[in-house]
Amino acid sequence: MIEMKNVSYAYEGICALKDVTLHISKGEAIALLGPNGSGKSTLLKLINGIVSPDAGSYKFNNEDITHKKLQDTKFTKLFHQKIGFVFQNSDTQLFCADVFDEIAFGPRQMGMNESDVDQRVNDCLSLLNIQDFKHRPPYHLSGGEKRKVAIACVLALNPEVLVLDEPMNGLDPRTQRWLVGFLSNLNKAGKTLITSTHNLELVQEISKRSILFDENHCIVADLPTDDLLQDVDLLKRVNLVDEFYHKHEGNEHKHFHMHNF
Amino acid sequence: MPEWLLKDENYIPQADKDTFVNKSILSLLSILSRFKTQSGYRVETFRVSAVLKVAFTIFLIVLLSLSRSFTFIIIVNVYLLLILSMMRTGEILKILRMSFIVAFFTFIILIPAAFWGNYYSMIMITPKVFATVMAVNILSHSTQWHSITSALKTFFVPDIFILVLDITIKYIMLLGEFSLNMLYSLKLRSVGKNRNKYASISGVAGTMFIKSKEMAEDMYTAMECRGYTGEYRVYTKTKFTYADFIYMMINIVIIFAFFYLGKV
Repeated sequence: MIEMKNVSYAYEGICALKDVTLHISKGEAIALLGPNGSGKSTLLKLINGIVSPDAGSYKFNNEDITHKKLQDTKFTKLFHQKIGFVFQNSDTQLFCADVFDEIAFGPRQMGMNESDVDQRVNDCLSLLNIQDFKHRPPYHLSGGEKRKVAIACVLALNPEVLVLDEPMNGLDPRTQRWLVGFLSNLNKAGKTLITSTHNLELVQEISKRSILFDENHCIVADLPTDDLLQDVDLLKRVNLVDEFYHKHEGNEHKHFHMHNF
Repeated sequence: MPEWLLKDENYIPQADKDTFVNKSILSLLSILSRFKTQSGYRVETFRVSAVLKVAFTIFLIVLLSLSRSFTFIIIVNVYLLLILSMMRTGEILKILRMSFIVAFFTFIILIPAAFWGNYYSMIMITPKVFATVMAVNILSHSTQWHSITSALKTFFVPDIFILVLDITIKYIMLLGEFSLNMLYSLKLRSVGKNRNKYASISGVAGTMFIKSKEMAEDMYTAMECRGYTGEYRVYTKTKFTYADFIYMMINIVIIFAFFYLGKV
C-alpha cells in the first residue's frame, strides 16, 4: 500500500530524514518510534503528501507520489481522502464554528446530500462519544475533547489509512486508555494505522510492528513491536529508555525505565 | 462501527481551485524558512559583534547617501560584494536578486531625468540604492534577529521597545508555524468542492486570533510569575574580538576613503 525507497528529506539544508526504505501493507498497525527530532513527524508529512521527498521514491497504492503529481488538484483530493492525518496539536485542525460543522466539513465537500452528512456526522459523534459537544465551538473544548473531535473529522472522510502524530500527547490516562482501545478497534475494522509515539507502555496495544528512528534520522529497526521492546540495549541507544537510580522500600538500586515523554 | 466505515469509500473528487490555500502555504513557508535559517551557521561564519555590524551598516548607508564621489560608491559596492561572496550560494542569489530588482526600478524611475539631460542622478543614485539594499540584506542575513534587537540597546533604544521587538519576532515564528499547520490541515481536509472557501479561511483567521490572545495572556501570566512588574532590562555582553578589530579597521578605511575622495 505504502512503499518508500531510499527517501531523504531536508529542511533548508538540515537533514530530517535519511535514506528511509519501508513498506506498509493494507490493514497493518505500525508505530513510529524515536527520540525528539529523529524525523517521525517529517515521515508522516511525507506520507500525507504535505512535503515531497528530496531523493528516493514514494508509492501509494502502486502510484508514484511526486511533487508534480501533488500539483494536480483532482489527484491530491483523492489522495487526501484516502489518507487521513490527525495532527499533534488538535487546535490546528479545528477551524469551523461548531463541532457538527467541523465533522461535516469533509463529507459536505465529498458531495453527499445533507441527510447522508447528518448520518455520518452522528455516527462519528457516537463512535467517539462526543454527542454532547455537537453544537459547541471547538475552542471551548478540553484537550482530550479536541483530540476526539479532530479524529472524528478525519474519520468522517472514511480514509483507508489513518496517520496519527503523537496522539497520546497531553491526554489524561483514562482518555489515553480509551484512545488505545478505539484505535485497536479501527485496525480490527480494516483501517491501516500509522502512529508516531514515545509512549512505550501503550505501543504494544496500538501496533503490531514498530519502526525505530535514531538521532541520525535513519531507520535503525523495523521489527514486531513485542521483539523491539525486548531489545533494551537498542532502545537505550536511541534514548527511548534510560537507566537511573531510585528507591523501592528504602533500597536504592538502578534499573531500566521507560518514559512517556 | 458504522457500516460505511468498514467499506472502502467509492469516491471520485470534483476539480476545485485551491490557489489561495496553496499560495498562503508557500508565502508562510518562505517567511518561516527565513527565520529558521537564522541559525548557528552565521554566528560561526561572521563572528563580528552585532553592535559593530548595526553601527557600521547605518554609518555606511549615511556615507553612501552623502557621497558625491562615484569612486567611493564603487569601492563600497566592491567591499559589499566581497562580504557577500563569503555567504551561502542561496543567500548570495537572494540578496543579489533583491538588490538588482530595487536598483532596476530606481533606474527606470530616473530615466525621465536622464532624458532631460540629468545623467548624473541616474549614474549616482542607482549604484547607491544597489549598495544600500545589499548592505541591509547582508546585515539581516548574517545576524540573528535577537542580536540585532539587543544591539539596539547600544544606541539608547528603550529596553521595553527591545522587549516588544523580541516578542514580536518570536510570535511571528510561533503563530506562523501554527497558521501553517492550520492551512495544511485545511488542505488535507479539502477533499472535494468547497463552496464556502471564505468561511474556512475566516475560521482559520478566527482560531488564529483566539490562539494569539491565549498565548499573550499565558505569556503575561508567566512573566508576572517570574517577577515582571512593568520594568524590563536588556543585558548585553559584548566582547571585543580579533574579527571585530579587522571589521572595524576595514570600515575605518572606508570612512577615510569617503573624506579623501570627497576632497579630490
